[in-house]
Amino acid sequence: MSIGGSIKRSVIYLLATLWLLVAGVPFYFMAQTGFKKQFEFLTSIWGLPKQFILTNYATILRGNFFHFLANSLTVVSVSVFLILVVSSLAAYVFARIRFGLSGVLFTAVIAGLVIPIHVTLIPVYLLTTRVGLYDTLWALVGPYVAFSIPITVFLLTEFMREIPRELEDAARIDGCGPMRSFFTLILPLSMPGLATMAIYNAVFLWNEFVFAFILTSSTAKRTLPLGIWEYQGQYSANIPIIMALLTLSSLPLIVAYLIGQERLVKGIMAGALRG
Amino acid sequence: MRSKRTVAVILALVTLLSACAPVATPAPQAAGPTVAPAAQPTQAPQAAKPGEKKITFWHIGSDEGSQKLIQDSVDRFIAANPDVQVEVVPLQNDPFKTKLKVAMGAGDPPCIFPSWSGGPLYEYVKAGQVVDLTEWMNKDNYKNHFVDAAINQATFDSKIWGVPVENTAVALIFYNRQIFDKLGLKPPQTYDELLDIVKKLKDAGIAPFALANKTKWPGSMYYMYLVDRLGGPDVFRKAATRTGGSFEDPVFVEAGKRLQDLVKAGAFAEGYNGLDFDTGQSRMLQYSGKAAMELMGTWNIGVFKGDNIDYYNNNMGFFPFPALKDGKGDPSDVVGTIGDNFYSISTKCKYPQEAFALIKYLIDDQAVAERGKAGLIPPVKGFMTDDPVLKQVISIVENAKNVQLWYDQYLPPDLGEIHKDTSQALFGLTMTPEEAAKQMEAGAKKAFGK
Amino acid sequence: MGDTFMATAVSDRLRKPRRRASQREYTLTIVLFLLPLFALLAVFIIWPIISSFQLSLTKWNGITTAREFIGFANWLQLLRDPVFWKALANNILIVVLSLVFQLPIGMALAVLLDKGGKRLRVFKTIYFFPLLMSSVASGILFKYVYDPTFGLVSSFLRGVGLGSLVRNWLGDPQVVLFSVLAVICWEYIPFYMILFLAAMTGIPEELHEAAVIDGATENQYFWRITLPLLYGTIRVAAALSLIGSLKYFDLIWVMTEGGPTRATELMATYMVKEAFQAFHMGYGSTIASAMFVIIMVIALVVLRITRRKEA
Repeated sequence: MSIGGSIKRSVIYLLATLWLLVAGVPFYFMAQTGFKKQFEFLTSIWGLPKQFILTNYATILRGNFFHFLANSLTVVSVSVFLILVVSSLAAYVFARIRFGLSGVLFTAVIAGLVIPIHVTLIPVYLLTTRVGLYDTLWALVGPYVAFSIPITVFLLTEFMREIPRELEDAARIDGCGPMRSFFTLILPLSMPGLATMAIYNAVFLWNEFVFAFILTSSTAKRTLPLGIWEYQGQYSANIPIIMALLTLSSLPLIVAYLIGQERLVKGIMAGALRG
Repeated sequence: MRSKRTVAVILALVTLLSACAPVATPAPQAAGPTVAPAAQPTQAPQAAKPGEKKITFWHIGSDEGSQKLIQDSVDRFIAANPDVQVEVVPLQNDPFKTKLKVAMGAGDPPCIFPSWSGGPLYEYVKAGQVVDLTEWMNKDNYKNHFVDAAINQATFDSKIWGVPVENTAVALIFYNRQIFDKLGLKPPQTYDELLDIVKKLKDAGIAPFALANKTKWPGSMYYMYLVDRLGGPDVFRKAATRTGGSFEDPVFVEAGKRLQDLVKAGAFAEGYNGLDFDTGQSRMLQYSGKAAMELMGTWNIGVFKGDNIDYYNNNMGFFPFPALKDGKGDPSDVVGTIGDNFYSISTKCKYPQEAFALIKYLIDDQAVAERGKAGLIPPVKGFMTDDPVLKQVISIVENAKNVQLWYDQYLPPDLGEIHKDTSQALFGLTMTPEEAAKQMEAGAKKAFGK
Repeated sequence: MGDTFMATAVSDRLRKPRRRASQREYTLTIVLFLLPLFALLAVFIIWPIISSFQLSLTKWNGITTAREFIGFANWLQLLRDPVFWKALANNILIVVLSLVFQLPIGMALAVLLDKGGKRLRVFKTIYFFPLLMSSVASGILFKYVYDPTFGLVSSFLRGVGLGSLVRNWLGDPQVVLFSVLAVICWEYIPFYMILFLAAMTGIPEELHEAAVIDGATENQYFWRITLPLLYGTIRVAAALSLIGSLKYFDLIWVMTEGGPTRATELMATYMVKEAFQAFHMGYGSTIASAMFVIIMVIALVVLRITRRKEA
């Protein structure tokens, strides 16, 4: 390797490590803060805790944490599943089937991307109460799915468009109809796209806050993001406990990411093409 | 691939079922009385059994201590009224404001809801959403239980619309006694003495005031006091009730000038318009000794105590905003609120009488005693406490000839916003006092129609 | 594995009777597959949009049942509203700076991870962290980072002797938008990284091998093969960035609430303030409707212009 090449390599590694710090250090500080008491935190924000006290984490775990965790898990996993189902079906049609209304309907999808959600608060609240779902976890699923679908359809359509036509044409010639083609061919090949959207939507919905507080009221129905209220008063907030809660809340997401990442493996396409 | 999706479905079902389990058991009893009393049978949102009355009660005592205070009262009410089911919903301050509006806009408000009295409550009153409590307050002279000033804050059109409950809080200048002692400073009696203290602190390399003004209301306290000290309470009152006053009155402009003089003298620690009070950024400056004073509401006493008992005992001190010799205002006047959280009943409530009965429990003798122990000063007549610090505050409030409610609570909401915006702009030196006064007056004309 | 796949497919088909997919089957597919999507869109998106346009023609405080019809008065007020135009300008600034920073850095990281493979697994996980932290978490943390007295940025600058560069990061109207923008970029770069990475897995390894055999450098491979193949994804990413920047709300709200003195006011924050704080639900709906129109138009134009001819 030439000198130029190895300098280039070192620079790349340096930048990569720099970004590693930029990306990871804030999370570390969030976790570290959870080990301090409020006064120590306010007098020494960045320093290592004099003592890694566990009372904050203990208070949270003894409180409603697992309850909120269960609620979040339920709502998010059901929502993500539905999002993927509805979106992949629709994306397939937009990506692969030519029909007259396609443009207009896709514009409606983009409208879904564009709408600012605060606009929908009162209408959705009205709908939820009229249907009798107010203050239930199911109330959240509707809006969560509906507001995540536009971006998911938008991206999945693109992913599906990039699957080579030859594969489908071959299947078509052999009498494979559009539905069969979808289930046996396109869907499996869309795994990277589905995994990506599963991760993105899971992260987004996990931290979702606005609909969660508008559509629920009792503590029993709250999700994790609302959990920090118990440590926030009218005039002060216990920052270390909040940080500890936020850290604990992120852990399931990290696990989900690690699992979902496995799907982003090159070679799925390669195999199909070689045939 | 299909099997993976089946797995996903099964996982979802399993999570679902596992989620059902925790909901059934009353969740956090283990940690004892300090933990949020959630998911107990009396609060589960089941449909009321026939013949049973249901009241929804929203409040903003979201932290554990405040939740407990309120829940105790609710429990006492339920014990005495077993046919009433109460759903208690503790919410955090800011989301609460949005949630209440959405609920009202959809025609579905809670039976009991909190407010800070003043203009914002009056908006709800004008919209016909609040029950007139005058009759019930007069019954058995119940309203005499409360400090008069508190009742006045919730009185509009000669009717009473809310019950004062939580706390009396006025703005005082908190200072670090140790820094003052070290530099030989004493709490000022006059504004000129304060300016002198500012200079001495700056010379010693200490920021005179810590100010976290991102949310705009902390800074507005300085402005309100300057107006009050310069012109007395009538200047604001006349302008705000449109009875012969104007927000362009020279007093307002002069107050703005004095404020900007203070800013230009470097009285405020760096970054004030970008610091957030809720994340403790002004306290950080004080704890580290980098700033010596902060003008803040007396709830701050509880905050200091909770943060660090040593600081509370050894460093924390406070004095009233000093007098302006060339001002017409009475130096005993304070800016603050008597009552802080007021509870009102919405007109859509099906059981307003029961709701009022519940509110009475929130401020009954036992509740008053518990609040006193928690470091609060409930707005009731004859409130006694052994706490020397609270006694000081009470005496300051009792000696005040006038208690000026925070402008952003007194004025109609949009005018309150203009007030906060203009005062923040004054602090940032991006607006002249004349321009600020002009905007306020224009906003007032628009808000009141005159 | 690929050979087995095709082999099974072929033998499968030899056994089943041949059949042309009928026009009816296509129509059925279209209707069935799109139905759930449009049911949801109609209820949660189309209806609120219509409702918002209706409300924009009223004067309503949001808490009464009475709504006063005032025609286009709100819209006229909007056109003359300096705060709205400032907000729009701020949004556009965010659009430009986001496109300039988020996509290229996201792409660079994706390339890095794509090449690095399993060795960089730790990097891949940690690079994801900014996205998974909620805006509440990042908002609070970066408030401390930007604290002029105690914050990391100021301390660092002073430490290396650049103390004169220290600014009132979140309090100075000249600087604050850029300070928050840095955090927004930090938060969303992982999203584009994952997106581009996923798209890259669709590029078969053989192409790379073939290119190397033909003597192409890494650089040439990236610019001449990878990038053009990713055109569709880049286009979509750019559209998402554009739309997201124009409707942005979260971190600005948590960190500055649109202040100080409207320096970071965005259309979305202005809308929320008017609708939910100032009791101006009618005017707030006008802002929301205007936002919708503006963003739709820009998005559709951009998508149209960048459309590739179908192969």
